[in-house]
Amino acid sequence: MLELESVTKRFGGLTAVKDVTFRAAPGEILGIIGPNGAGKTTLFNVVSGFYAPDGGRVRFDGRDISGMSPHDICVLGLTRTFQLVKPFGNLSVLDNVMIGALTRQRSVSAAREEARRVVATCRLDAFAQSRARSLPIGLRKRLEVARALATRPRILLLDEVMSGLNPAELSEMIMILRGLHADGLGLIVIEHIMAAMMRLAQRIVVLHHGEKIAEGRPEEISRDPRVVDAYLGEEFVLADA
Amino acid sequence: MIGRREWPALVVFGAAALAPLVIRDGFLLDSLILILLWGAVSGAWNVAGGYAGQVSLGHSAFFGLGAYSAALLATRFHQSPWLGLLVGAVLATLAGLVIGYLANRLKGPYFGLATIAFSQVLLILASRWRAVTSGSEGIPVPFRPGLWTLGFQSKVPWVYLILALAVCVYLVARYLETSRPGYQLAGVREDEDAAEALGIPSRRLKVAAIAVSAALTSVCGGLWAQYVGFVDPFYVFSVDLSVRFALNSIIGGIGTAIGPFVGSFLITSLEIYLRATFSDFKAGLIGIYLIIYGCLLIVVVRFVPQGLVGWLGERLRAVGRYARA
Repeated sequence: MLELESVTKRFGGLTAVKDVTFRAAPGEILGIIGPNGAGKTTLFNVVSGFYAPDGGRVRFDGRDISGMSPHDICVLGLTRTFQLVKPFGNLSVLDNVMIGALTRQRSVSAAREEARRVVATCRLDAFAQSRARSLPIGLRKRLEVARALATRPRILLLDEVMSGLNPAELSEMIMILRGLHADGLGLIVIEHIMAAMMRLAQRIVVLHHGEKIAEGRPEEISRDPRVVDAYLGEEFVLADA
Repeated sequence: MIGRREWPALVVFGAAALAPLVIRDGFLLDSLILILLWGAVSGAWNVAGGYAGQVSLGHSAFFGLGAYSAALLATRFHQSPWLGLLVGAVLATLAGLVIGYLANRLKGPYFGLATIAFSQVLLILASRWRAVTSGSEGIPVPFRPGLWTLGFQSKVPWVYLILALAVCVYLVARYLETSRPGYQLAGVREDEDAAEALGIPSRRLKVAAIAVSAALTSVCGGLWAQYVGFVDPFYVFSVDLSVRFALNSIIGGIGTAIGPFVGSFLITSLEIYLRATFSDFKAGLIGIYLIIYGCLLIVVVRFVPQGLVGWLGERLRAVGRYARA
């Protein structure tokens, strides 16, 4: 279980995340939405250890992880992907994933075996030997997921892994994520594609100007006037209706 | 078990091991020793510069620390140079930790500049601290025959000693290509944030790589001082030397285990050839090797940025595909 308690992050005079409190239950798919600049990625950076919060606490399974380093947080079982994907470009897809697997595995050959399984789960088998930098963006997004998955997280933070995908890739990604959810993995998902979010998330947290303005089930969120005002707009409600 | 990937090393080191059986000429043996030695230092540089992606231009700092440690322990304290190698390695490891700390704060060219500054500080220290180092006069290393004192009448023991050093450096590089810390370090080199998110303690690994690189470089410096018999601060701490360490690797193949030795073979033999050709009245022309150096570097960086080893590997694979088709 991940708990955020009044988390605040400031950059000079700008408060990027302000007093945000929510929980993610084990195995839950929690969506985070909000307009550009709402503080979603900053929130991920705080939770995953890249920034220390200026106020509040982040707890993972009851343990205070605020201010811990990203690698220690990953070892505890919480990791993230990056919106601007960060593949190990000169290495093969399999090696990328294997480096993730080495966090739990001492032996390189065991890690390589595990990486093969994860690569298959993420349907990247055909590209296992390709250089990561040669992959198109859709597959790079999937590689981000595969690599993070190889560290065996209990909660995975996904930062826009579905944007920039074509419809076929999008469906495939949603299927992969549902499969992970079925295996008990908790997902916290930042996404702009509302259709995908509605299909995937069990609950949604809405951020605006760094603050949480709403939280609830997708159908509640899509009708919440504050959310419509701040983010979704009239058209979405009309289209949805 | 010797894998398919080791055959280039077997050829290179095997040839070096057999050479003294055939070659009796002191000049050629001296060339062989220097090729292996400069290859080994460059391989040590490659641990930080190639595998960890921390391109240092001040590795002469560690080389000089090693050279001075071995020379001073022998001359002032009448100790075995082996002890000097150990002391030098310890000092270089400490210095490597300092440089590694810098590496966590300075990126790319700024790190390179900081390492140059570090080597120049040591140069000033060594050339001015007369009471300990004899200052800019340098230190002659006394010749005391025996393995324990590292004095040999013949060049042949030196070939095998430096060859053993070269093989050690090569094996460290191979370890980095096949082991858990090696793969993790590759992740750090490719993208530090991504590595962190995957549970890799990136800073610790980088510092460790630089420390190992420094220690190996220092051992090379210590053996070099024993072999040459004289330590000059303006040579051992020079930027020239630092650049040479980097160049051998870049030309041969940065981040490859055998690359630094291939680079050293080209660069060192070229330099020795020019020195031998343009002796006495044309001595000014020896400097030509610097120009050739520069041109070679431009050609390699422009046309084969992966270095000669990477380029040859691709050619061979292409030929293999063609032969099968």
